[in-house]
Amino acid sequence: MATDRRVAKEGAPSVRRGVTRRTKMNWVFSYCMIAPLCIGLAVFYLWPFVQNLWFSFNDVTKFNISTFCGLDNYRKLFGDKEVWKALSNTLKYVVVTVPLGMCFSILLAALLNMKIRGKSFYRVLYFLPSITMSAAVAMVWKWIFNEQMGILNSALKAMGMSGHNWLTDNRTALFCIMIVGMWMTIGYNMIILLAGMQGISKTYYEAASMDGAGVWARFFHVTLPLLTPTIFFVMITSIISGFQVFDAVYMMIGKTNPAFDDTQTIVMLFYEQAFDYGHKGYAAAISVLLFAIILVLTIVQFSLQKKWVNYDE
Amino acid sequence: MKNKKKFLSLGLVGVMTAAALAGCGSSSSSSQTAASDAAAAGSTQSAESQGSGEKVSLSFGIWDENQRGAMQQMVDAYEKENPNVSIEIQLTPYKGSEYWTKLEAAATGGTAPDVFWINVLHLDSYEQGGILADLTDKIASSDIKDSFPEALLNNYVRDGKNYAVPKDFDTNALWYNKDLFDQAGVAYPTDDMSYDDLVALCKELKDKLPDGVYPFACPVDFQTWYYQTIYANGGYILNEDKTATGYDLPETQEGIQCWIDLINDGYSPSANTLSETGADAMFEGQQIAMNFAGSYMLPEYAANEQIKDKIDCVEIPTFNGVEDNVINGLGYAVYAGSKNLDAAEDFAIWLGSQEAQDIQGKTGVVISARTDCQKDFAEANTQYNVAAYTNHADIAYPLPVCLNAAELYDTEATWITKAYTGEMSLKDACASLKQEADALLTQ
Repeated sequence: MATDRRVAKEGAPSVRRGVTRRTKMNWVFSYCMIAPLCIGLAVFYLWPFVQNLWFSFNDVTKFNISTFCGLDNYRKLFGDKEVWKALSNTLKYVVVTVPLGMCFSILLAALLNMKIRGKSFYRVLYFLPSITMSAAVAMVWKWIFNEQMGILNSALKAMGMSGHNWLTDNRTALFCIMIVGMWMTIGYNMIILLAGMQGISKTYYEAASMDGAGVWARFFHVTLPLLTPTIFFVMITSIISGFQVFDAVYMMIGKTNPAFDDTQTIVMLFYEQAFDYGHKGYAAAISVLLFAIILVLTIVQFSLQKKWVNYDE
Repeated sequence: MKNKKKFLSLGLVGVMTAAALAGCGSSSSSSQTAASDAAAAGSTQSAESQGSGEKVSLSFGIWDENQRGAMQQMVDAYEKENPNVSIEIQLTPYKGSEYWTKLEAAATGGTAPDVFWINVLHLDSYEQGGILADLTDKIASSDIKDSFPEALLNNYVRDGKNYAVPKDFDTNALWYNKDLFDQAGVAYPTDDMSYDDLVALCKELKDKLPDGVYPFACPVDFQTWYYQTIYANGGYILNEDKTATGYDLPETQEGIQCWIDLINDGYSPSANTLSETGADAMFEGQQIAMNFAGSYMLPEYAANEQIKDKIDCVEIPTFNGVEDNVINGLGYAVYAGSKNLDAAEDFAIWLGSQEAQDIQGKTGVVISARTDCQKDFAEANTQYNVAAYTNHADIAYPLPVCLNAAELYDTEATWITKAYTGEMSLKDACASLKQEADALLTQ
């Protein structure tokens, strides 16, 4: 190694002289191409992130009047019942929607990967929720679940059953949110998984068939193992977006909803503290907590991936 | 495998490009604002150096689409009288506190509208943030002091200084659906009813109304329902020096319990139902026969083809023999960091003039705050008995306000809801509420 480096050092001037104008132009061109992205990321992601971190150590009120307060926000955070309640609601949401949503998306992707009539039509159909504005989706579902005029209760009543106050009962409200959340994300995950499935070489299936593997055996022993890198990707992004759930809850559950306490998520709490009450420092601390949780979970997942993700090839 | 990697990287590139594009979008719009700021600054400088002949442009922040027409008429009138001033209306919806979020960010960044609407709820925090220009001198040299109800003017006074010109006010009234009363064969409500009369009316209506239709509605609503009865009953929310709340007083709790009783007696839909569908929506859907509504609801009711010819209003029933109503309202404030401060203040003062308040009042959308223009509201809405809103406005109770008002109201709603749904008794809910709310006041 050491000799290599020395050689490189000695050779450096000649190497630099060896760089052609054309290569230099290439470099300039390349940097120009990535500059908009890098500047955008720095200004709109990195700088706000750093500022947010700084806010969390300050008492920031409305109009950004801030005074340094050390760890006060974090001390308050750990003693705040509302934070723990919101965290447990969020955790429930993730624990239910991520595995269930993944199962549904894999199933759908497998079905739409088969030779069936009109599969492009169904692919579009399942992907539509992903390109619809989430606020609009939540509004529609809010009316579906409505106790008085909702289509769900009307259907139940037509079948002789009694309706239910789905969104204001604290036992059912969070489940309604989960259904909407999954409905919105399944299509997107399905498309990614579908792309993964289409990347699996046909030769594996042919070999499996020749060895006498049926449809199920091929799915469990060929498709699933070879799909694990894609499943891994979908899982990481689903967990992250699950922890950040906000829009459906915000649109469907109002402040005077009796189920508010049992549906408030951690990002909802952050929004309320920052924008309704003007406690920006405290809100920043909440967001840092969320960031830490997601970071730890993602690191754990990456370290566990060796155990189940197949990167052969 | 290669395909998959390609797809993933493509996806990532897509996401990042979107982010970068979003970034470009906001940066270009902010540079536009900067440019217009520079232009505005330029015009001020020239205005200062060359006298009033130069063009001054002002921005005017409002939140109600229903009132955009009235505001535009006033702006047109002002521009006609002051040809050197041009005013641009900036509308941001109130819903989901969007207006305040944007205004706060703009004020922090130095680009707030020169003149903007403000309500009592937000006055303290904006005054303490140094966002509001002191209008005391200009108000003193105008006719505003003698032309507005003192209580409304004082809503915007802190430490003896005026921070806004009153714009309008809102009070409450009892609305009823004449069709439902006719079908039930029950006499309409009257202006001189008491709370007990209201209960008797509910009782009479209950069995005569169609299935699924309730006589009345009692949502968890402070301004239009329980604050009126709390105050009429001698209770209070905040004490004089705003150091403690009065939720523990029996007078306060009685003023809330009287509405919970109506739910328990089956005269009103449950709190769950009302929190989801809303009393106004149910009244407009003819699922309730009577409803309380603020004067700001009138334009919506009057525009609803289904009910507009079937409804009318009367005064809020008295409680313990006391005329009870809650008054709230808006004012025009001036941004202290305005680049055209003098012109902005002049415009705000003019918005309190008889001419401006008459234009606003004649649209019939809100009740103008100026004493001699209050009648405009009734004159513009002759189809209803809207005098119900103004008859006792002079003795209506103002909303309690403090620095953490927004948080206080939310905390209150959370606990009171538990009593409305029967999850806990009102006494227990109020005990927990007082503890939390008092802690808020000491912050």
